[in-house]
Amino acid sequence: MLETARYEGRRRLRGALFLTAGIGAYTGFIVWYFTVLEGVDYEDVFEDLPPAMLDAFGIESLSTIEGFLGAQVFSFVWLLGLGLYFAYVAGGIVARDIETERMDLLLSLPVTRSRLLLEKFSALLVPMIAVNALGGPIIYLFVVAVGETIAIDHLFLAHLLSIPFLLVCAGIGLVFSVAVDRAAIAERAAVGTVFVLYLVESAVGGAEGYDWIQYLSPTQYYEPTPILIDGSFEPIDSVILLVAFAGLLIVSQVLFERRDI
Amino acid sequence: MSDEAEHPLVVEGLTKDYGSVLANDAVSFAVNDGEVFGFLGPNGAGKSTTIRLLLGLLKPTSGTARVLGADIRDEAALTEAKRRVGYLPAHLGFTEEATGEAVLDYHGAMKGDSRREELLELFTPPIERPIREYSTGNKRMLGLVQAFMHDPDLVIMDEPTAGLDPLKQEAFNEFVRAERDRGTTVFFCSHVLSEVRRVCDRVGILRAGTLVELADVESLLHRSGKHVRVHASDAAVAALTDLDSVVDPDRFAEGVQFVFTGDLNALLGELARHDVRDVEIGEPPIEDVFAHYYGSEDPAPEGGGREATGGEDGSAEETGEKDESAEATNA
Repeated sequence: MLETARYEGRRRLRGALFLTAGIGAYTGFIVWYFTVLEGVDYEDVFEDLPPAMLDAFGIESLSTIEGFLGAQVFSFVWLLGLGLYFAYVAGGIVARDIETERMDLLLSLPVTRSRLLLEKFSALLVPMIAVNALGGPIIYLFVVAVGETIAIDHLFLAHLLSIPFLLVCAGIGLVFSVAVDRAAIAERAAVGTVFVLYLVESAVGGAEGYDWIQYLSPTQYYEPTPILIDGSFEPIDSVILLVAFAGLLIVSQVLFERRDI
Repeated sequence: MSDEAEHPLVVEGLTKDYGSVLANDAVSFAVNDGEVFGFLGPNGAGKSTTIRLLLGLLKPTSGTARVLGADIRDEAALTEAKRRVGYLPAHLGFTEEATGEAVLDYHGAMKGDSRREELLELFTPPIERPIREYSTGNKRMLGLVQAFMHDPDLVIMDEPTAGLDPLKQEAFNEFVRAERDRGTTVFFCSHVLSEVRRVCDRVGILRAGTLVELADVESLLHRSGKHVRVHASDAAVAALTDLDSVVDPDRFAEGVQFVFTGDLNALLGELARHDVRDVEIGEPPIEDVFAHYYGSEDPAPEGGGREATGGEDGSAEETGEKDESAEATNA
């Protein structure tokens, strides 16, 4: 039971730690930068920017540490960076094994295709959980270290609610991974899709008549900055993400079951 | 299920049609319990397609097969049967950054590894090192260990000795014979005639997706002859090509090459009468065997075969079979 998940998860461990360390270092820089900027009335700087851009970058209240982290860390790293990262990595899960013919060997083992797919995907939880479970405390420690405060429950929520969002991004990658034979194509298609959805969501946000398009993008359903500032979020957003993830998982399963390898 | 006991592998009208290529065309045969069955054919004949169908990697267009009694179209049954099946693919796609040990641990956890230590004494891949540092031969040995370590009843191998050095090849042949004697059934796929003759009890020959013959190895070899290449004077070449059992002589600047189907001593006697600068006698490439005994459908191999003969025996690796099968069928 779960041998594949364990084996694949162990392979992801090192990458997960490097990823977390990298994000931790970036967060440290951002928190330090916040202290440097203190006293500068730079909200004026952004005042002239179009509202769509402010919205796209999650810029709400840059003079507080919560607002600053929301814009510089969560909107950039969690929403865009990690969203693309998990789409990319998931794109390689099956396609790379098919390309290198490793899948032949895996499927010669006594395991059904659906179980193999589930367990291989579940190994992605290692970096997904590591980056949140370790990233959260790292951010908190940095903030405390520079003499600022941040509400622990808000920070916790911002991390917790990122999981359904990241699962959807990974799910998009997984669908491409089972549909395509070559890893590079699956990975690019997955990254491209998530990125285009993000751009479209940002662009049509204010456009009347076409604003329904923004609801296609997973980025619509995870807004870290308000969560950090006052803990506000819509539970239905997370439900929508989880349902979408389940749908993507089912589509991947069906495609994987039916395909020739 | 007495049938399962007698025939661990039964293939019935197995067909895989890719649209442009008919990779397997109503292939039928049965492998007896405890025999070594060679599945022979030139590159691109569709051998790997058959193996992939047997493992459930491909879905048959029509027909089916039973592996240890499990219908290959029934995923649950086939998955259960795989506990007792070992598989050595032609191309070993191991996780490159993992150590051999980690891979064996994983495979062992999935299907068992009761014979792992014993096999690691016979085949000796450096299991503490990451697989990306392995030579082709070391990968092949790791593949052999994982294929046999759970003591399977049926082992399916695709070009098992490609990349093994001659000593390890001999060890492998001996090992396969010993496995057969313990009752393991072995199904293996090869395009190298010499490999098949040393270990197989029976042979099925696949050509362009169609099973053309089921034969015992002796009768096949008897008909296949030897491939001979002689560097000698024109007079010597003329005398040699006049011999009765010379088939398909093909002259080149410094000599001649041909297939010799008669008594080897007669050939050696004739060679001794001339001033011979160099001579090579070996197994004919399987393509030539087909050309001679089943008639060539393609007029080209005469010229094309010449260049291929040098490295054909033993060292050639089977790659890109799926692509080549297009050629074979269209020809």
